[in-house]
Parts: sequence; C-alpha cells; structure tokens
Amino acid sequence: MAIEVRGLTKVFETGRRRARRRVEAVRDISFTVDPGERIAYIGPNGAGKSTSIKILTGILHPSRGEATVLGVVPWLDRRRLAMRIGTLFGQRSQLWFELTPRQSYRMLAAIYGLDRQHERARVSELADLLEAHDLFDVPVRSLSLGQRMRCELAACMLHEPEVLFLDEPTIGLDLLAKQRFRELLVRLNTERRTTIFLTSHDVADIEHVARRAIVINHGSVIHDAEVATMRGALLATKIVEVRLGEPIEAMVMDGVHVLEQSPTILKLVVDTGTTSIRVVLDALLDGASVVDISVVDPPLEQVIAEIYGLPRR
Amino acid sequence: MRRRWPTVIARTSVERVLAERGGLLVALGFYIVVVAVLAGLWRVAAAANGGSIAGYTAVALTWYIATSEASTVALNIRLIDDIGNDIGSGAVAVELLRPAPVLGVRVAAELGHALPRLAACGVAGAAVATISGGAPPRPAALLLAAPSLVLAVACNIVAQHAFAASAFWLRNAGSAWFLYQKLVFVLGGMLIPLEALPDWLGSVAAVLPFRSMSYAPARLASGHIEPLLLLEQVGWLAVLLLAASVAFSAGERRLQVVGG
Repeated sequence: MAIEVRGLTKVFETGRRRARRRVEAVRDISFTVDPGERIAYIGPNGAGKSTSIKILTGILHPSRGEATVLGVVPWLDRRRLAMRIGTLFGQRSQLWFELTPRQSYRMLAAIYGLDRQHERARVSELADLLEAHDLFDVPVRSLSLGQRMRCELAACMLHEPEVLFLDEPTIGLDLLAKQRFRELLVRLNTERRTTIFLTSHDVADIEHVARRAIVINHGSVIHDAEVATMRGALLATKIVEVRLGEPIEAMVMDGVHVLEQSPTILKLVVDTGTTSIRVVLDALLDGASVVDISVVDPPLEQVIAEIYGLPRR
Repeated sequence: MRRRWPTVIARTSVERVLAERGGLLVALGFYIVVVAVLAGLWRVAAAANGGSIAGYTAVALTWYIATSEASTVALNIRLIDDIGNDIGSGAVAVELLRPAPVLGVRVAAELGHALPRLAACGVAGAAVATISGGAPPRPAALLLAAPSLVLAVACNIVAQHAFAASAFWLRNAGSAWFLYQKLVFVLGGMLIPLEALPDWLGSVAAVLPFRSMSYAPARLASGHIEPLLLLEQVGWLAVLLLAASVAFSAGERRLQVVGG
C-alpha cells in the first residue's frame, strides 16, 4: 500500500482563552492508495485538503487516527519519509531565482545524499523525460511560469520519489502550459510508476491526470470513486454564458436551468446527459441576438455542493 | 563520493552572490562610504582628545571601524525579519519536507551568502583604512582578525536564527529584529569600542555574546594580539548553535502540532 489512512482527525484550537474555539479541519478520514495510482484529492477551499497533505507528508501531527505512507508513519519519521516522497506546492519554489535550475539541483541532490555522478545522470534523465534540456542552464528568473514549473517538477523528482504529492501545481499556468504539465505527470506515472497524489481546483487537472478522485468537504470524505465513473455525474454539467444584443423570453429546455438572466446576460446550467451543448447552442443562435457566448465547466465547489449535497460518509 | 550538504549549499550560495554582482557592488559602495565617514569622525574625536580614545589611537580606530562594519555589512541586514516572515508564511513548514535540518540548511546558505561579501569588504576596508588612516598598527594582528571575522559572521548568523525562532510563537519577528540590531550596535561594539562605554555597560557587554559578532575581530585588527578572543568566539558559537537548535526544534514541534 502506498498510502493508508484510518480515522484521521485534526483539530485546531484558535483564539485565546475564553474565546477559544475548536475547528475540525480534518474529520475521521479513511482511504487507501495503491502504488502507482493517480489520485485527485479535491474539495472546496477550507475543505481540509492542505491539512491532510501536511499530515501525510509529516509536517503536521494529527489529533487522532492513523496513517502510513510507504509503511512509514509520517509525523514520527518525517526525514526518513522525505527520502522517498516528493512534494510540489504550486505557490512555493524549491529553486533559487538568481541561479540556474542545474545549480539548485546540485544543492538539492546533496541534501538527498546523491553523489555527483548520480546527480548528473539523474538530471540528464529528467531533462529527457520533461523535455527540459534547454531550461536547466537558464537563470530561473528568466523562465516563464510554465517552464519554471517543469523545472520545479524535476527538482522534486531528483531523488526518485515513490509518491509525489502535488498541491495546486497548475495554479497560474496558461492553458498550454497546464496541458503540458498534466501530460508530464501522466508520463511520470506510467513510465516510473510514481504514485501521484494531486490536489487541484481545476476540473481539467482531475479529468486529465487522475484515475480516481477523493472528494472532501468540511473535513470529511464525501465521495471516493474512479474519475471515469464520476465523470458522468461530476462533469456532465456545463455553464453557458451568453451576452445578448436584445432581451429574450425565458428559455425552456429539458436539462437546462437558468442560473442568471438580465436583458443583456443569460447564464445557463446545462446537464449534458439530458441535452447536448450543441442543441442548446443551436437554440440560442437561432432564437436570440448573441453578441458573445462561452461554455465553461462549473466551479468545482458548486459541482460538489450540487451533485453530492455534502452528505458525510 | 557522497558530498556534505552544508558545503554544497554554502558553495551554491556563494554562486548566488556572484550572480547578483549588482547587489554586491551596492553593499561594497555603502560599506566604503560608512567606513570613510565613521573613521573620519573617530579620528577627529581622537585628535580632540589628545590623540586617542579609550586607548585606541586614530589609526587603531580607523582599523577598528573598518573591521566592525565589515562584520555587519557582510550579512543580510534583515535576516531575522526574513526568517520570521518565512515562518509566518509557511515557507519554513515546506522546508521540513527535506531530509536535512531546516536550521542547518539556512545557516549554511547564509554563511555562503556572507563570505564573498566579507572577502570584498575585507579587501576594500583594508584599502580604505590604509589610505585614510595609515598602515595597520600591528600587521600580525590581522592574521588573527581574519578568522575572527569569519567567526563573528557565523556567531551573528546563528544568533539571528535563535532570535528569529520567536516567530514560531509570535508569527513575526519584527520586534526581535529591532531589539537585536540595537544590541549588536551597542553591546556588540559595532559603532563604539567597548572600552569607550561606561564601566557598567562594558561589564554587561563582556558577559553577552554580542561582542563576539563585531568587537572581537575589530579589537584584533586594531592592533591587539589577543588570541583568547578567538577562543571566546568559538565558545559563544557553540552556545548560540545550541540555543538556535533548541529554539528551532521547539518551534518545529509547535508547527507540527498547531500548524503553519
């Protein structure tokens, strides 16, 4: 088992003395992850994702419950576990901006106990895998965010971790860079069997990277299923936003629900399992004066709230 | 061959300073101006006082100031504040994910940052002191002053980490930084030789670690061959390392329990 979690609970105490309050950030969470799995660990802001990751990587003690990562209790043996896991936090850099990634890798390799020969071989191997030969000798501050994230990924893969924890790794990346990053994660997983444990608010990250999604809210697991089976429920909803030249009458179609309507704006929620987007777009283009139109995935928080109704398991 | 991470980190940090030559030159320019001004003031004061102050001649005071300023300008002046911000923002929590002690990694990086600046200030300071004040009072004393400067910087870096650890509890180290600066300025002998302080204040300074961070190398460079000062610095470095280790360990434990 790569990760095993049983009844994990973390209670924070906030405020002072009389105003002291107990907040259950993580509440009785249980799940297991097999080696080589690709997991999306998702939920709205404040759901307990980061707290769970901090516990699983050993930088936070739980209040109750048990967990092992690669057979190691993270909070009891953090440094031993650090040799076997990699972590990538989208908003934290492991690289020194004034230097090239290769110079930072030398430092990180020494921390992880790699000798010079092993380090060179590993950096070269990662440059091949991440298609980053041209990036490793450029000062980090001169790299684009997308290029930097590829170099960050190499940094956390330097010591060949068996499990990779990624917290919002695609945040701030443009569409192409996101797509490329997702492909790299899948490649890492398929070629190296690295277990991927990913948190993200981006539905596309879940769709393209994860095979299985664990959804948490209010600190509890509310859903745990293969993405392929979730897709029907989770991603079968699209939001259509239309800017109108002239006001229109109310739109009535099966599987279409009006989220917002004004003389110039119409926002629809479309259940694509009932009515296809094409049918809705055709109806709009035929029956209304459309100035602009866009189709977007609904926010993850909204999907979770609407589809799962937040029942605790 | 397996490498020692503190050495590699310090070396990488040296490369970082050299990659940022602009910052190094600005620090050097600031240092030269400060030394020229302060040494000039002290020479005027010595002349008005019959040629010396608290046993230091005008030349000795020039070398004293050049050395004491070098020991401070070589450092990141806001180190405590920076560490405090990293603790408060959660950056230090992420550093816990590495298989090396956070304190060790940070101290090695800061030493690597300080050493090239110290070397540049040492050379420039010797030139400014020689031109404006005269040849060193006892050149042999400089052989002791050089390692003492390195020890002074090491003591200062480690002590700043010990002070900054307060941010594990207070969430920022702004007040610790303010207090620390004043202590090093006065009780460390950075601005004034400790012999020029009132007796009671000199006695307080004598039992605190701050004099190892500035006064010790400055006293040696001003022509006093007192090897015991080096031993005292080594002793304080050991004590400060212990204090910083205890403070960081306690802070990390707190972080693991209450979160970052």
